[in-house]
Amino acid sequence: MFSEAAVREIQEIRAKYPTARAALLPAIYVAQREFGWLTPEAYEAVSDLLGVPRAIARGVGTFYAMYRQKPMGRHVVQLCTNVSCMILGAERLVDFLKSRFGLEPGGTTQDGRFSLVIMECIGACGTAPAMLVNDDFYENLTEKSIEEILGKYR
Amino acid sequence: MITVTINGKEIKLEKPVTVLEAARSAGIKIPTLCYHEQLEKYGGCRLCLVEVEKMPRLQTACTLMAADGMVVRTETEAIADVRRGVLEFLLINHPLDCPYCDKAGECELQDLVEKYGPTTGRFKEKKRKAPESLEDPVLVRNMERCVVCTRCVRMCEGVQGAAAIGVINRGGHSHVEPFSGGRFECEYCGNCVSACPVGAIMSRLHRHSYRPWQLVSETETICPYCGVGCTLVAQVRDDVIKRVVPRIGTPVNNGLLCSRGRFGYEFVGSKERLTTPLIKKNGVLEQSTWEEAIGFVARRLGELKTRYGGDAIAGIASPRCTNEDNYVFQKFMRVALGTNNIDSTARTGYAGAQAFIENIFGQGATANLIPGLANADAVLIAGGDPTAVNPILGLQIRSCARKGGNILTIGHVKGVRHYNPAELKPNVHTEAALLEGVVTALKEKKGLPGSIQTLESKIKEIHRPLDDAARTCGVTEKDLAAFVEALSTASTPALVIGKEVIQSAGGSYNLLLLSAVAYLVNARIHLLSERANEQGVVDMGCAPDLLPGCRPLSYVEFRRRYEAAWKSPIPEKQGMTIFDMIDAAKAGSLRALYVMGENPVFNLPNAKGVEAALRGLELLVVQDIFMTETARMADVVFPALSWAEREGTFTNMERRLQLLRKAVNREGMEDWRIVVEVAGNMGVRMHFSSAEDIFAEITRVSPLHRDLSYEELEKSGIYPYKGEPLRGVTGDIAVAKPAAGDGGGLFLGIERPLFHSGTLSRRAPGLVKIYETAVARISPATAAARSLKEGDMVRVSSVIGYLELPVAVDFAVRDALVMITNNFEGRGALSLMELVLDPVLRAPVADKTAVTIEKAGR
Ligand code: SF4
Ligand code: SF4
Ligand code: SF4
Ligand code: FES
Ligand code: FES
Repeated sequence: MFSEAAVREIQEIRAKYPTARAALLPAIYVAQREFGWLTPEAYEAVSDLLGVPRAIARGVGTFYAMYRQKPMGRHVVQLCTNVSCMILGAERLVDFLKSRFGLEPGGTTQDGRFSLVIMECIGACGTAPAMLVNDDFYENLTEKSIEEILGKYR
Repeated sequence: MITVTINGKEIKLEKPVTVLEAARSAGIKIPTLCYHEQLEKYGGCRLCLVEVEKMPRLQTACTLMAADGMVVRTETEAIADVRRGVLEFLLINHPLDCPYCDKAGECELQDLVEKYGPTTGRFKEKKRKAPESLEDPVLVRNMERCVVCTRCVRMCEGVQGAAAIGVINRGGHSHVEPFSGGRFECEYCGNCVSACPVGAIMSRLHRHSYRPWQLVSETETICPYCGVGCTLVAQVRDDVIKRVVPRIGTPVNNGLLCSRGRFGYEFVGSKERLTTPLIKKNGVLEQSTWEEAIGFVARRLGELKTRYGGDAIAGIASPRCTNEDNYVFQKFMRVALGTNNIDSTARTGYAGAQAFIENIFGQGATANLIPGLANADAVLIAGGDPTAVNPILGLQIRSCARKGGNILTIGHVKGVRHYNPAELKPNVHTEAALLEGVVTALKEKKGLPGSIQTLESKIKEIHRPLDDAARTCGVTEKDLAAFVEALSTASTPALVIGKEVIQSAGGSYNLLLLSAVAYLVNARIHLLSERANEQGVVDMGCAPDLLPGCRPLSYVEFRRRYEAAWKSPIPEKQGMTIFDMIDAAKAGSLRALYVMGENPVFNLPNAKGVEAALRGLELLVVQDIFMTETARMADVVFPALSWAEREGTFTNMERRLQLLRKAVNREGMEDWRIVVEVAGNMGVRMHFSSAEDIFAEITRVSPLHRDLSYEELEKSGIYPYKGEPLRGVTGDIAVAKPAAGDGGGLFLGIERPLFHSGTLSRRAPGLVKIYETAVARISPATAAARSLKEGDMVRVSSVIGYLELPVAVDFAVRDALVMITNNFEGRGALSLMELVLDPVLRAPVADKTAVTIEKAGR
């Protein structure tokens, strides 16, 4: 079940769109935030609230890579390894995350603190390598700066 | 007029259509995969690409509208190349397991690849893997074969209105799944099966048991389950029905079926079918011969008639049997036994309600086209869920809503909950007060039309201001006012009446109020019908007060006419209703009962009471296809042929006459033939040698069926009937107002599930696996108040007895009700029901049986 605040948020979202289906994408985001990842209950909650059939809501949710289809750590690291980032050492950063934090691509740390998702270009080629931690943007990464940045996320 | 040229052929079009439709109309084939004539256009598969002069790229013929002067080519080298490419892509992930796939032989992909496809593919990568899903009882999902044409999804959402499945994931990983990812948990109509061009969603019932080309015959016949009367095609191999499919273009169901029609046919081949006549000797039913059993029944009936008179004998006809069976049976009762003691379970609601409505509006008032519902601009539903009772009719209501029509419901109607219904939920037993409010308001808004005086004088007596109605029923005045407004502004409204308002305290008064609503807003009336030939059994004169064609027995001229036709006197005295029969059996004045294709012990209220009454009979004869609760008590049991093994006609709820055709062979006799044999042994000759013979007599005798013939029915059934409807017999309208409500407590309700229909469906394994066992369905509030949760065993008790059932908590159930189905042996809702009759309709009142519910002790 959604919190009252989430219900209100989705209702506000709904009001901005002409049809309930159009509001699905942002509403699924809210559900993902509320439930941690897109559990069956998360889809049910969205579909009941918007009046969109469940199977359809799930179809939309599973289409997009940036929704979480499985349980994730408390903080999600989205690291780019596409061309610019790769040239400037993103592969090394992947290795670093593994050796320093035990964090594998697509995996979650044992303590549930971080999950790592490998991205294909997040639009920061000029300041590569780059990553997102939750909704925060970080660029010009080095092993040292990663260590510092992640230290802020408990 | 639009003129297009396709492959050099000039085609003239009356109305705008797509290039694909234009080509098809001229017999030019364009390959398609995602196109389906019943579905919204999609343009996803790119197989229908064609060249259009002056257009830059190839165009999809299925979405491109034909424009005047267009020049189109459908088969060029360039097009073939593209089609080859599309198919090569589709085959990247396709398992090519045709030798093992049930679809092979009727697979659209197979046909396309055979015609246009590449012989080898260039992709070396591994194909995607997905295990075949066998989690469902009636459906198999094999997603390796899916070509993501979305036909099933569009069918499920846009036509069936269930939206139970969707395409999930992206790109090469996309495929179709129900929400759960495993079991469909849907309406199980199987219409997605019809839609799927490949072997990705298929019926499980015939899995790996035949190849499409091995089918020996296809028989078009009528569904045996409900009053909608869908046309279905039974496909047969080795004299076994392997599969049932619909056909596009049939008048009632046009390519669609519901779960019962599609997956409910297996009872025909059930091992439990009765095979030989049985006679009770020393208290045990023993196998006998036809000769002995027929001789015995004829002799006993003769003796009893001589000793006690014909009125000591009664017959129960069947809304599952054909018109021909029922006609012969009532004639037998009237002519051979000399009694009008003939009735059927149509008495439990349908017959009385129809008579009531026809008495006001004239015969045929409820004979309205089902597909017409889709074009109504408002549909008022009272007394049940049409999508469960008469599913294909329910689809028309959903379609109406999709087209923008208003759906108005009295009570919560689960099957239309996604269609934004205006819902009024009156407290239990206050429906009449609510309707009084509606009628009062409509009367003020619309005025009286002045055409039916008897009804208007009743309407004038009705007075309940909206605020009072709202208060009494526990709805808000605002909702009630909006409801009335929607009704009064509708220009083509329809009214759908279900059994729950008929079988309720004050049923006749409810019907009067609903008739008043229909009259004031000029709505067409549809009366839901649970049995395939419920209309027919009444029209054939299987009623104590009606002769064939629904002609009242009490009119001397009518009786004389039938006497002349039958060359036999017809008793003047009105016979007993089915309930009178039970009473008379209990009282000892009824000595013999002849039951054709019915199971009164199970299908009438108060099983124990009925059983006790029947025990007192000197002779009980039962004709059936299975050993039923009633047959077990009989002195003689005749095995009858089933619906699939004979010819005849059914009359559906629209009063459309349709032909049943024999799909499979079986030794034995049709119900009518058994009756004819018994009559013959009693010295009453009925000269019928086929169902068609009987029909010929019906058309001579019944004014309602005048001048019809099988030959004419052969084409597509006859709607409504060509004969003369009976009008103007209207006297006063008798109604019985309900007594004041008796406050709180729980009452028994009869659940009418989509997947069942009494004693036939419980012998159809497919349906039983979908809905396996009886449950006590209660609302979350009822459950919470008694600390009950899903699955708890409870004892539901009434003054009649008790049942022990698992609890199902269901949001759709009203707080004051405990809903139980009447389908499962030994656990039928009716067995708990007190028998109280509405004095006017003479139908049982179903919602006044108080029950208690408590955890079952162990
Ligand atoms: S069986 Fe009917 S309700 Fe179920 S998924 Fe298929 S089309 Fe939808
Ligand atoms: S399951 Fe069949 S109908 Fe549905 S998308 Fe796949 S191939 Fe098309
Ligand atoms: S709607 Fe009625 S007649 Fe049609 S398939 Fe279903 S049960 Fe049979
Ligand atoms: S390649 Fe990494 S941000 Fe564009
Ligand atoms: S049939 Fe036209 S695109 Fe599929």
